[in-house]
Formats: sequence, C-alpha cells, structure tokens
Amino acid sequence: MKVQVNLDMCEGHGRCAQAAPQVFALSDNDQSEVLLEDVPADLVEQVNHAIRVCPRQAIAWLEDA
Amino acid sequence: MTAPLLSEIDLGDPTLFERAEAHEAFEVLRREDPVHWNPGTEELNGFWSLTKYEDVLFISRHPELFISSKGIAGSGLRHPEQYPGNTVSGDASIITMDPPRHVKMRRLVNKGFTPRAVEAMEPQIRRIAGDILDRIEGRSSCDFVLEVASQLPLAVICGMLGLEEKHWPILFEFTNSVLGARDPEYQADVPEDERGTVDAAQRTGIIGRERMMGFFGEVLERRRREPTDDLVSILLESEVDGEKLTEGDVLAFCFLLILAGNETTRNAISGGLLALCEHPAERARLQADMSLIDPAVEEILRWTSPLHHMAREATADVEIRGRQIRAGEKAIMWYPSANRDEEVFRDPSRFNITRSPNEHLAFGIGEHFCLGSGFARKEIKVMFEELFRRFPAIELDGTPERLRSNFINGIKHMPVRL
Repeated sequence: MKVQVNLDMCEGHGRCAQAAPQVFALSDNDQSEVLLEDVPADLVEQVNHAIRVCPRQAIAWLEDA
Repeated sequence: MTAPLLSEIDLGDPTLFERAEAHEAFEVLRREDPVHWNPGTEELNGFWSLTKYEDVLFISRHPELFISSKGIAGSGLRHPEQYPGNTVSGDASIITMDPPRHVKMRRLVNKGFTPRAVEAMEPQIRRIAGDILDRIEGRSSCDFVLEVASQLPLAVICGMLGLEEKHWPILFEFTNSVLGARDPEYQADVPEDERGTVDAAQRTGIIGRERMMGFFGEVLERRRREPTDDLVSILLESEVDGEKLTEGDVLAFCFLLILAGNETTRNAISGGLLALCEHPAERARLQADMSLIDPAVEEILRWTSPLHHMAREATADVEIRGRQIRAGEKAIMWYPSANRDEEVFRDPSRFNITRSPNEHLAFGIGEHFCLGSGFARKEIKVMFEELFRRFPAIELDGTPERLRSNFINGIKHMPVRL
C-alpha cells in the first residue's frame, strides 16, 4: 500500500509524524514528508490514524493505477 | 433542566445559546434525529442540523458537495433583498470561498501561521500577556473578558496586520457589531425599542462591516505608499493565477483575519477560565502541575467549542443517515455537539484536562481547517500559564453574561476576583 501527502493542502501541523513517525516527518519547509512510501502491513493502522487526524485531510492511500 | 422535546428545538434561536441550554438540545438531537430538519421562520431559512461527529467529518471532507460560498453563518435570510448592504459591500474571503481558489488564496498567507511561525512568536505573545496582567495587578476585581481575555488575541492579530495600538479598541468594537450583531448590547446604532430583532441584527452587522471596511481602506492606502513587512503589505503584493489581488480581495482578507483572530480565542480563554472555575478538582490538578497545560488546552477547546457552527450549502442531493438533503439546502455542522458525541468521546459531559484521545473538531477539519489554530492554542496556553502564575486564586465574582448568538460561543462579561 502506498501513501501520499497532498502538498497543496499540508500546512505542517505534524500530526502525521506523531501518529506514524516511521512513515512521516516534518521537512525543513514545514510540510509533511513521506519517509516510507510503501507502507509495511504492520504500520497500516498507524497511517490510517494519521489520515484520520490530519487537520487538513491531506493524506490518502494511493489508489492502485 | 429537563430535556427539551425534539419538536420544540430551534437551533436558529440565538437565545438558546445565550441561556447556555444548547447542550440539552444537542443531546436530544444526537439521540433522536441526528440529521434534523430545523424549520425556518418568516425571516430566516430552514436548515439541516448535523449533530454527530462522523457527519461533521463527512461534510467537512466534501467541500465540493457542501460549499461555503453561499454563506457560512446561519441559514440565511428569507428575503435578502430587504438588506441591500449585505450584497454591495463584499468580495469573498477564504472562509466563504470554495476549491480550487480557496487553497491558492490561503497559501498566500499560511507561511505566517505555521507551527514554526507560531513558535517564533511565543516570546512576544508571553510579553503581551505579561503587559495585560500588569494592568490589573493590585486590583481586587476586573471584567475578565474586557480586560484580559479579549486583549491578547486582539494584540497578536493587530500586530500581524501592522495596526497601531491606538486603533485596537475600535477594532474590538467593530468586531462585536459584526459577530455579535444579534445581541442587543451591540445594537447601539438601532433605536432602543427596535433592538433584539433580526432586522436590528442585519443593520448592526452591515454598519459594523462598513466601518471595518472603511478603516482597512485607509490602512491599504497607507501601505501602498509605504509598504512594510506585515500581512497587509504581503497581501497587496500577492498574485493568484498571475493576477494581483484586487482591493476587494485584500479588504475581505483583512476583515476575516481581524474577526477570526480576535473573537474566537477571546471566548476560548474566557470559557476556559469559566470551565476551570466550575470544575475545581480539574483546576487544582492543573495548577498543581502546569505541565498538563497542553492537554488542558485541548479539553478547553473541546469543552467550549468557540464556534457553535459552520454552515454549508449542498450542491447535489445527498443522503445522510437516511435523510435526503437536497441541492440548494443549507446544512449546519454543530461543533459543540460533535465534540460531545457519546460515540466518540468517553464520558463526554465530563471536563477532563488530561482527556486522551481528544480529537475534537473545535477548529473544523479539512479544506477550511482554522488557519490560526496554532496561534489560538499558543495564546490560550500562554495566557493560562501567566494568569495562574500571577493570580493563582482568581475566582468568579458574579454570573458571566453570554452572547446572544448561535454562531459565536461568546462571553461578553465575566466579573472575577483577583
């Protein structure tokens, strides 16, 4: 499963980095950076939590093309 | 009080909120009819009331289905043509703007509101809080709203807009007449025997808006002649899609920033102190260990929900929980209700300063998530840290007076003993 952050929406609240620190981090320009685009099964739950709590609703699973 | 009957509930009635009786109504709505058609009146349109957390999330996540550009406060007038001032004086600001333009406009200023920007401002916010508390030092009592809670957010947003201190009191007044328009206390421009009506509220709001726009029109003039590095100057220089913002765009932006920046946080601080005074055990726990301030601020936000609602208009027919919301109808999201939804918050009617998790929606969520949430959190935190350090025994000294509004969860006056 791949995850992506919509950088038009992200305003660097950092909730994703708290929810799933192995997957997201705050970059130097105050936006979320995806550290691990292919999310391993054991972190899926954390990423789902990040998706839910992101204040800007900027995170989504990438649909399989 | 006993629970109201579903058929008697009218969330369009601002006195319900003035009497602080809305939570009883919300409880009934969540239980009996969570997507509820609230009939209108002769003057105001009817609307759908959404009172469940999940439904507020759903609407917030679909800004294409539920748009903001047809008005975000209340359900709207049945006869808007009677109030021409509503329509002549206004370009949209980002709060009443839809995608895709909303995000482009918002990005012009959001660098000024990032966590980093907020952290950089903390020493200044603490200094301002200290100055405010200096002014009540040595006194035995004061009006906490007028002299303390309102002063910090007003100073911070005025500072960001580069406005001189001598103008702050008048901006506070304009804010009250725009956002407190339904409250007779702020209807000084309307003859006394006509106050309290929808008509008086319309006139008050229009007058407040025109005065505010007149004030900012002069500010824009000055900034054009002598640009500075404040938000006003940044906006005057900004472009969207290769075009400079119009005078109307910049005015609308300033109007929104000053209102949103000074009204809501004021009420979170006043409402927070009220909640702490009404829950002495929680207050004692916080004062014994101020490292609990961060979760306490979150609980204050959940508990007070400074904005009662945001309204949206449906662009298509949508079914929620078996109810048909038709295109063109208003859907109102009630944040205080979502924030006490039994399905999301354990023991929701308990004020618990270490509540966890606490994913409240006091700032909304998604496309229109509060731009200033970082400043709001910081201002509330710093104010309570400084207040309890300097006035650890502060207590209520009378009954707080609430604002007559179903939009702003306001407290107008709150006498305290220092």
